[in-house]
Amino acid sequence: MFIRDHHGLAVFSGGQEDWERVAHVASSCGRFRADVEEEWVADERLSCYNCRYRRWTAASFACLKA
Amino acid sequence: MRILVCIDDTDNLDSRGTGELASLLAECLESRGWGKADYVTRHQLLVHPDIPYTSHNSAMAFSASIKAAHLSEFIAYAGVFLATESASGSDPGLCVATWPHGEQEQALLNFGRQAKEQVLTKEAAYALARQLEIHLSEHGGTGQGVVGALAGAGLRLGGNDGRLKGQLRFVGADRVLSVRQLLAHPWVDAVTTTSGQELPVTEQVQLVDKVKTALLGGRSILVVEPAPHGCDGQWQNLSRRQMKGY
Repeated sequence: MFIRDHHGLAVFSGGQEDWERVAHVASSCGRFRADVEEEWVADERLSCYNCRYRRWTAASFACLKA
Repeated sequence: MRILVCIDDTDNLDSRGTGELASLLAECLESRGWGKADYVTRHQLLVHPDIPYTSHNSAMAFSASIKAAHLSEFIAYAGVFLATESASGSDPGLCVATWPHGEQEQALLNFGRQAKEQVLTKEAAYALARQLEIHLSEHGGTGQGVVGALAGAGLRLGGNDGRLKGQLRFVGADRVLSVRQLLAHPWVDAVTTTSGQELPVTEQVQLVDKVKTALLGGRSILVVEPAPHGCDGQWQNLSRRQMKGY
């Protein structure tokens, strides 16, 4: 689900539109921390896409806590 | 005079967001009697491996009417504010521009658009700011935020990018409002479908989740879609997921 890139970042393999999967991942993560409101993009609060440790890449995101 | 204000890269993983600082600056401009600020908008910039950013790559901007005599005072205040309130490890940038026209306007618009498509440099940002006589300053770290600050000003100027920071709040607990009621909000200039068609004022809109507008055509637009069968309103505002593209 997360693949290390050449910078050592754990990049999510599902891209930026895999809403259900990232909601599932966040709900079982234990490290989720909500980002500031204006950066939320998922409807579910508990979503990797809404996490403060989510760092967008061009095609997906990297998890800074993975 | 009308001005554009934009800040970028003031935060880190643990701090307040850049949007909060922008809101505080806007509030300060008003509380000190310098003028009147409009809503804050969020503008997504290019995400690219060659672009260093601390936590997000989005700039926060607002426009304002300010008494000319207070402009330099506001700029000085904003600089100190960013230097003291920006997070450790951030690279804050501040842009304050009097509303440009003609060729100057076009140049700033172009810079904003380019920042969504290609990697731009601090040097290019400073060069353009000098050419257009726009205030651009850095207030910590590498100061890389000046690129986003200038670009965000251009995107806000263009009026076809970004979404509202925060949410719209309406008086009362009703979650179904008419378009007329929605238009009474100072931050709602129009209510349109996703294809841009403005709704008649009698149409009913079900409000769901956080209600945000998008900056389109220079206006703050509440974009709606047909409500699901069984809802009280004929329309409903877009979800957070649907607003992602704005």
